[in-house]
Amino acid sequence: MPAELVTGNHAAGYALSAAAEANRHARGATCGIYPITPQTEIVEYVARFPFSKTRVVPVESEHSAMGVSIGASLAGARAFTASSSNGIAYMVENIMVAGFYRLPIVMVAVNRTLGPPWNIWADQGDTLMLRDFPWIQFYCEDNQEVLDTTLLSFRLAEDRRILLPALVALDAFILSHTQMGTELPEQEEVDRYLPDLDLPHRLRHEAPTTLGGLVWPNVAMSQRLEIDEAMERVPEAFEECRYAFIEEMGRDPGNAIQTFFTDDAEEVLVVSGTIATTAREVVRRRRDDGENIGLIKIKMFRPFPEAAVREACRSAKKVAVLDRNYAAGVGGIFWQELRSVFQGDGDELLIQGYLTGLCGGDVTPSMIDEVVVDLRERDAMDKPVWLGIGNGKGAEG
Amino acid sequence: MVEIRIHGRGGQGGVTLAKIIATSRFLQGQSVQAFGLYAAERSGAPLQAFCRYDDEAIANRNLIYAPDHVIVLDPTLIGPAVADGLEPGGWILINTDERPESFADRYPQNRVATVDATSIARDNKLGTRSVPIVNTALAGAVGSVLAIPLDEIQAALEHLGFGGGNETAAAEAFERVRCAELPGVTEAAHEKEDGAAASPFVATERGPSFLEGAGGGLPGIKTGQWATQQPKRQQYVPPCNHVCPAGNDVQGFLHALAGDDTDGALEILLRTTPFPSTCGRVCPAPCMDSCNRVELDGAVNVRQLERFAGDTGEAAIEPLASRGEQVAVVGSGPAGLSAAYQLARLGYGVTIYESGPEIGGLLRTGIPQFRLPEDVLDREIGRVLGLGVRVVTEHPIDRPTLLDLTRGVDAVLVATGLQELRGLRLGVGDSEAVEQGIDFLDRTHRNEVRVDGEDVVVVGGGNTAMDAARSALRLGAGSVKVVYRRTRNEMPAIREEIDEALEEGVPIDFLTQPIVLRPDRTRGGNGANGSGGTGGSRRRVYQLVCRRMELGEPDESGRRRPVEIEGADFELPCHRVILALGQSPDMSVFPEGTEVREGERLLGLLETPVFAVGDLATNDGTVAGAIGSGRRSAFQMHTALSGEHLTITEHAAARRDVDVWHDDVIRADAMRLHLFERLAVSEGDAVAPEVRRSTFDEIHTGLTDAAEAARCLSCGVCNECDLCVTYCPEGVLKRVGHELVFDYSFCKGCGVCVTECPRNVILMSHL
Repeated sequence: MPAELVTGNHAAGYALSAAAEANRHARGATCGIYPITPQTEIVEYVARFPFSKTRVVPVESEHSAMGVSIGASLAGARAFTASSSNGIAYMVENIMVAGFYRLPIVMVAVNRTLGPPWNIWADQGDTLMLRDFPWIQFYCEDNQEVLDTTLLSFRLAEDRRILLPALVALDAFILSHTQMGTELPEQEEVDRYLPDLDLPHRLRHEAPTTLGGLVWPNVAMSQRLEIDEAMERVPEAFEECRYAFIEEMGRDPGNAIQTFFTDDAEEVLVVSGTIATTAREVVRRRRDDGENIGLIKIKMFRPFPEAAVREACRSAKKVAVLDRNYAAGVGGIFWQELRSVFQGDGDELLIQGYLTGLCGGDVTPSMIDEVVVDLRERDAMDKPVWLGIGNGKGAEG
Repeated sequence: MVEIRIHGRGGQGGVTLAKIIATSRFLQGQSVQAFGLYAAERSGAPLQAFCRYDDEAIANRNLIYAPDHVIVLDPTLIGPAVADGLEPGGWILINTDERPESFADRYPQNRVATVDATSIARDNKLGTRSVPIVNTALAGAVGSVLAIPLDEIQAALEHLGFGGGNETAAAEAFERVRCAELPGVTEAAHEKEDGAAASPFVATERGPSFLEGAGGGLPGIKTGQWATQQPKRQQYVPPCNHVCPAGNDVQGFLHALAGDDTDGALEILLRTTPFPSTCGRVCPAPCMDSCNRVELDGAVNVRQLERFAGDTGEAAIEPLASRGEQVAVVGSGPAGLSAAYQLARLGYGVTIYESGPEIGGLLRTGIPQFRLPEDVLDREIGRVLGLGVRVVTEHPIDRPTLLDLTRGVDAVLVATGLQELRGLRLGVGDSEAVEQGIDFLDRTHRNEVRVDGEDVVVVGGGNTAMDAARSALRLGAGSVKVVYRRTRNEMPAIREEIDEALEEGVPIDFLTQPIVLRPDRTRGGNGANGSGGTGGSRRRVYQLVCRRMELGEPDESGRRRPVEIEGADFELPCHRVILALGQSPDMSVFPEGTEVREGERLLGLLETPVFAVGDLATNDGTVAGAIGSGRRSAFQMHTALSGEHLTITEHAAARRDVDVWHDDVIRADAMRLHLFERLAVSEGDAVAPEVRRSTFDEIHTGLTDAAEAARCLSCGVCNECDLCVTYCPEGVLKRVGHELVFDYSFCKGCGVCVTECPRNVILMSHL
């Protein structure tokens, strides 16, 4: 498989297009789409792709982009879209609908700061805003992972046991616009990896019906439980999709969490997205220096891989969570998740939150060293640390 | 704590009733709650509302599953669900005009109270007639049942701003509510049942999967159960059908024509008349006078459309049965031929006896060719004869021969028409100059009359007068004038024929009564009118002395009686006077004292039934009337011979599959004329007056197509326009074949189909 130098957006666009093309012998594919920096390259790539049975439908807003994809998906097509930041905010109503409709739509989201103030750089706040919707969420570290995870997402979302939409997130510019060598699979490989979509509850003109009309609370609640059960099946189904990917492509698309020297680590850094690459290098250096430190990269955010995280932290005494996102009044969102994982089972674990790289700020190795130093000095958890700028809390406070 | 559950329908004010009760307690210092149970509520949908009150602060935010009492706002909601979870001994207050005892079997555990809140609400003009707002009346009834003083209920109404009729309604209901203490019901202490298990607001088990689709996941809501009214198909009698003297299904044949089914249109016409091409030319068309389209943009041109169907349609007529009885018909005018036609269709052997050499009666001899060409008449008569009717011409029947005739047949129909011609005494005038119009037309038909250059005066205002005047014109008269003693409004002639005569140059002197005809001695017996001429004894000049009239009080015919104006006489010089003053029946064929009534067997003529038919019996004077009389009499004769009754009004037999059949005529104000586009009348072409006044060729060339039929409003009769189907917002109205089918399972009775029907064939009925 030849590697080519492409951007993260290009990798995403290629994966979306190849997946769409792979359904050409079934009901084809459709993409309702609207451009927004820094996702525009994906739109451009998809719009130029020589599809044989896919409609790319340019619309007037993100809300309609998802609307088109929902309609197409309900009709049995493989549906996808891509967006970013305030575009996602505008799309929110239909993002939620796609989930509750149990449609296996795949959305690539380029993580960009929600404005105002206007800001086009990396921040996970846009997709983490969707954390309570019935969507599977993945956060990627590099171009290859974007491509592979996007392909995997179709297979996972369309799995009969799951039937939930999936979101693949990549950091703005740091990943979306960065050229890196990426292996692009042949169409035949993608064809083999992604079976034809056959949506069980798709609308059929020969048997008209209403989907999602008014139901009494008892039935509606039951259908929420159904979603919860599907979410619970995701880790197992993900593993199957991952191994099938390895078998087909000869490459690991990446586990739900990826650990680095956690087996015996007493200090563990928890990261996601592109920060993982930098942090991993800091950990490698400190390991070389004999420090008992490890790293967890969280790829799958929804459903949150609780069991895997708990297992990876088995020897840990202190955990530092680096969040490139901010939940107002709380702190980092990954930090919140980590704390709830150990609630009542590992209460003694010190889990400290660090807000870093928000709104596109660069996260350098020295900043991560700063985190390690801060963590090492702590004997109790405190409010999140706004790394670098201080806030009267945390290490200095 | 008291807990009340209210069952009502959207729009009846159930939630407000809860609020009224709560307010009455709140104003007394109690702790209260009032709330609705909101779902897919829309007008008419079953819904529930709740009310709690207690002396202590209420600490309960749940729905009420085990109410102490229940109120039912709509009697159509009465059912087992009303008593779900209801405390034994608790009250069920029902809005109904029935007595509470009648619910004893249904709710044996409970006490029942009833009040006719609907009537009280209507009496007090609360809401609309179709959706009366019954809640304030029921509030009064609740007070009475639950021992809440009326003034506290009324205080609540006032507090909420519901004055006037609402307080009166509450007071009336407070007095009128009827309570039944049913045996065996006790208020003994008991454990409250937990009705929550059955509520859709409490999940107790797994429901259907979303992925299995709507079929498993959604409750089937038969919205038709919300309806308080339902549309029904109805049919009225269109005015054209009602007034047609021949009894034609006018709306029916126009509907067929509008659907390009000319043969079907003719088939419909031939059920009632053998003469569509004839009536399509000479009928006064009362259908057009009564046409509701007059109120919009002019009557549908039914006459020309009947002609179009008769002239261009094809339909085979065959006897419907074969019978042994023989019937004689005396007279071959339209009445006799119509009777013969219907009798032959019924299977009778029919023989027509005609005194003259040709059959057709006045159709042939009394209507000029320019109005009714002979080939048209022959074709239609051929339709009658084609059924096997035998004809004996030159065979006059008088009193003795009529008696002979009755001995040889099973029944006789006498259709000799109006043979007595009304005359006018014109004093000493030369009788050769005076001629009856009927005779003049007959002689014209036989080419036995010449009027070249003559000045002709025609006296009368009927069709015979017009026909005689126009024939005289065509025969080369120097001038033709009509004198009529009343005005144009009173003229019995067809309006169009009057217009055509005027166009052709026949002036009409209205309010003119001829008194005396005398020779013009100044110009000599043999002289012309001063202009020379071809000579001959006919060209003697006369002076017709006329008197001016004015209209007085109405006479027995309803028309204003002409009254002479003294001293206003004048003279008209002329060569010839044609009298067209009307005809009357000649009863001499019957035994003295015979009373003649249409449809009744004449007595005293041996065993054989004898019927008088047509003008002889009705004195109607129109071809259409004669056709109708002939048909009716034929059917009555059939009844006399066979005992079988046939539908007399043919259009009534043309009823479609409807729920409600009205015998009354639908008038324009019952139509929704604003829903129709205005369309110009198609008149059909006529030959120019200056051309036609010199030829006996037919004036009208008729319509070239039947597009005019699309102007028919189809008053009161569904013509499958399907606006109702188009506009039904629920999609529950379908056309299945020719039938309109309502799916009452889902029809909420919104009434859009009723208001969108241009012709009022959908009736809204209250449930």
